[in-house]
Amino acid sequence: MSRYNRGDADGYYEQPSFCSNFLHYSWKTITCLFSHITLVTMVVSYCVLGAFTFEALEVDNEKQVKRGIPKIRENVTQHLWNFTQEMTALREENFTIGAIKYLKSFESALLNAMTKDGWDGIEDEHKVQWTLTGSLFYSIIVITTIGYGHIAPKTPWGKVVTIFYAILGIPLMLLCLSNIGDIMATSFRFLYWRVCCYFCTKRPKKLKRGRSTYRGSERLTRSRTVSARRSVRASARSGDSGIYSDVLQHSYHSDTELRYYEDPSRRSTSVPRVRPNKYNRTTGYATPRNLSQNPNQLRVNSLAQPRVPNSLDRRNRDVAIEMDPIVLDNTPILCNKYVIGKGEGFARTIPGKGLTLRQMEHQSRATSLPASGRSKSMPRSQNYLEPPEIHSPESSDKEDFEPQSSRIRGKRASRGRRSKSPMPMGPPKMMTPLGYGHRSKYLDDPESDTDYYDDDYYESGRSTIKPVPIGLCVLLVVSYILAGAYLFMTWEGWEYLDAAYFCFITLTTIGFGDLVPAKGVSQDGYYATISIALCSLYLLFGISLLAMSFNLVQEEVISNVKSVAKTLGIIKSDSDDEDEDD
Amino acid sequence: MERRRYGSRRQRKKQRTWLKKCKEYIRQLVAFLFSNVGIIGLVVGYTIAGSFIFMTIEGRHVQKMKLEVLGNRSLYAQKLWNITMQLNAKVMTKEEFHRRITEELFQYQRIVVNFTRRGYDGTDELNCTAQWSFAGAFLYSLTVITTIGYGNIFPHTPVGKITTIVYAIVGMPLFLLYLSNIGDIMARSFKWIYANCCLCRWCPGVAKRRAMRRIRREQKMSQAVGSDEEGGSSSKTSSDVNIPVPDSGPRDSMVSDNLTAYTEESYDVQTVTVPLTICLMIMVGYICGGALLFCKWENHWTFLDASYFSFISLSTIGFGDLVPGDKIYGRGIDFYSEVLELSFVFCSIYLMLGMALIAMCFNLMQGLRTLLEHGLSLDLDPRKNCWFRLRILGSLLISSDRIAESTEKSIELAQTEKLDSTTLYCPKCEILQKCDAY
Repeated sequence: MSRYNRGDADGYYEQPSFCSNFLHYSWKTITCLFSHITLVTMVVSYCVLGAFTFEALEVDNEKQVKRGIPKIRENVTQHLWNFTQEMTALREENFTIGAIKYLKSFESALLNAMTKDGWDGIEDEHKVQWTLTGSLFYSIIVITTIGYGHIAPKTPWGKVVTIFYAILGIPLMLLCLSNIGDIMATSFRFLYWRVCCYFCTKRPKKLKRGRSTYRGSERLTRSRTVSARRSVRASARSGDSGIYSDVLQHSYHSDTELRYYEDPSRRSTSVPRVRPNKYNRTTGYATPRNLSQNPNQLRVNSLAQPRVPNSLDRRNRDVAIEMDPIVLDNTPILCNKYVIGKGEGFARTIPGKGLTLRQMEHQSRATSLPASGRSKSMPRSQNYLEPPEIHSPESSDKEDFEPQSSRIRGKRASRGRRSKSPMPMGPPKMMTPLGYGHRSKYLDDPESDTDYYDDDYYESGRSTIKPVPIGLCVLLVVSYILAGAYLFMTWEGWEYLDAAYFCFITLTTIGFGDLVPAKGVSQDGYYATISIALCSLYLLFGISLLAMSFNLVQEEVISNVKSVAKTLGIIKSDSDDEDEDD
Repeated sequence: MERRRYGSRRQRKKQRTWLKKCKEYIRQLVAFLFSNVGIIGLVVGYTIAGSFIFMTIEGRHVQKMKLEVLGNRSLYAQKLWNITMQLNAKVMTKEEFHRRITEELFQYQRIVVNFTRRGYDGTDELNCTAQWSFAGAFLYSLTVITTIGYGNIFPHTPVGKITTIVYAIVGMPLFLLYLSNIGDIMARSFKWIYANCCLCRWCPGVAKRRAMRRIRREQKMSQAVGSDEEGGSSSKTSSDVNIPVPDSGPRDSMVSDNLTAYTEESYDVQTVTVPLTICLMIMVGYICGGALLFCKWENHWTFLDASYFSFISLSTIGFGDLVPGDKIYGRGIDFYSEVLELSFVFCSIYLMLGMALIAMCFNLMQGLRTLLEHGLSLDLDPRKNCWFRLRILGSLLISSDRIAESTEKSIELAQTEKLDSTTLYCPKCEILQKCDAY
């Protein structure tokens, strides 16, 4: 349904005013949110439905079992009575032997009732396990595949319904959890880079300040090119699996990107070859969709809103893309294969069609004929991040203002040197305390010239996949387990180790069921309800937290494992290691 | 100086070579362990190691508990005796006796329930730690690393709990690796079998016909595309299309030309998409087959029980309300331990195989899944979108090779935007109908 809406929303591309664009993106975010909400509500309603069904199916059986227990006792008493009556002389040895025999049979009858018939050990008929909350808990336990087994269906119908309930419910739950995990991952990444790593982002700011000194003198020529480039890049960048923080470094990026275009030799040689690969690979799963969108967007952007694509706009778009429910629940790896195969086809079509008008505009101003000639001759081989025509005015810019400030020039010169030399001289780890050093490892391109590319690229604010350190995720999960242990310790009165063990067993979905909330304690209805609610909230949130941390860590761990495997000489097929971390 | 340096260097060299050799061996060992064959051994070995560890840790505790149970039983027998004696001193009426005895039994019942919750399995024999026997511990380790977690036996001691946590942390990724590896191998071999046996790629006649069909379909598709590209008037396009292929004569020759090419082009077996229904059938068949086996093996289980057990196990829910070896209660010891071991082993094998089979099915479904994602990621006109999605879903469910192919093709066409938004509906329908007509 929501999919349909999004489809309709695409129609807004035809009226590309700022207002409608804004409307479109807000609409998109709303639909995305809505689809998330519908997913969650679907899961919840599915659980509630299951609760009612299972309660209706199982309650009578359980009551019957409970009614049966006194009968067992009665039987044993009767046997004992008969036994005593039959004994001619009451002697202790004989009696105890007989009594032990009867007690043993009593024991096994009770055991049978508990293990087979699902008796919970309480005879009171009003305290059944299959209350509404109990069955709700049961349905959650089923569809999360935890399966404590402290309550299990005993009637044939209950079993059949459980099977079908699980068949439908488990994928639904997985979908929901992975969605939630994705949302959490994005927000966590955002939080981490925005809030926690404030200090790391300080350095780029300094740089920005430095640049602004010459920017003032430059404004006239510059503002145009920058804005144009921005519009181009914004549209192209939308292919990123967007991260908000790249908005932060926005202007800074534009500056460094400028540098790319200034370097004609590099562009002409290494760029078209390297870019598509890298781009596709790093952007991961959001790409195919965006690529397919790109023709539209580009056309619209370049034609009708040359200066509009500001940070807000882009951010919206990124949000919309990032939250796309269809694309998100997939593992990135699969799509990547496809992207590498076919994405280049898309990429090829884009610049030629979409940018020409803009390019012409520019070129008419800059009057650099060779550039335009080149752009016409090889529009197909160009990549969409590299609109070649824009470069010409800038190169002239560069010559103009280079002597202005020696500091900047020094920087630039060093950059330029680095970018031209095949060997990267100490990759610039600008805003990367932990991440980017690793990042270059992900792209296991043997070519050396791709390396500096990566670095420059990251520097230029391709902060798209800013990895959150593994340690942090592990810490998060561990602390969640420990906090949960404390919670359950106080609530259920377990030992701390027991509680931690319970949390672990629950979150890994092993679910032994030896420790279950609201069991074994004298069961007050209200109390049981609350503890069950607490437990289910804990485990739902915990599992989505796990999904989140997998999402965050996945790529890095995969690459690490792969590199280890490579050094060991194991590496044969990549899929093994990927699956290990799913 | 020089010489010394040389000597040391030589030594170092020796050391280095030795180290290198060592490293090389270790590397080969590790490489082998993580290879396709080795991973099975690794998982089994890990499980066996785990079972020994848990046996030693938990076995003692079970003995202690059994002693407690025995003590309690004799205590209550004593109590019963006391009651009888008391009553015997007076006049022993049935009602009085019943009342007193029932009270005591109720007390005893509570104790038994407590013991059962703590894992008492109903056997008295101290030597027979049936739950934590080797087979039981093996099954336990397996259920931990597969995250099934029956919970019919679980660790009681703190050490056992900590060990379980560590064991699971290491074991679960290992098992996932095993699954992906074995699933991959099985998927490959299954594809091979499917392509060669079920699709009769071997028989020349079938292959020929198939190739013919394919060629014809491609022609139709290209025709349809051509008509789309022409746009505008449909009559024109139809005539255009008809002109180059007017009669059957030249067409046949063309087909035969292409035919040789197609038949010579050996099908890449791994590109075959195995339909979803077959995957599902495999799963259902495995569950039902397992259910039949369990049905025979476990006396008390009905077919429903057994299939329920298989499903709950293979979906890693693992309630543990039904566990193999259930029939033990109230049987003799000799009989029981042997059978229990056997059934545990059988269950373990069933589980490992079944999980691998599930992995295989997921692996097989991936081709379809990429198709699905591929199609869903297209952002087209809503009508077109809807249509595509329907078709893709159809190809997933009906899941024949050729529908998948044709869908792929039409997606490709849509991507290259040969079909624009005006000529969406009808030609699509036609293509689909044409494809289905074969």
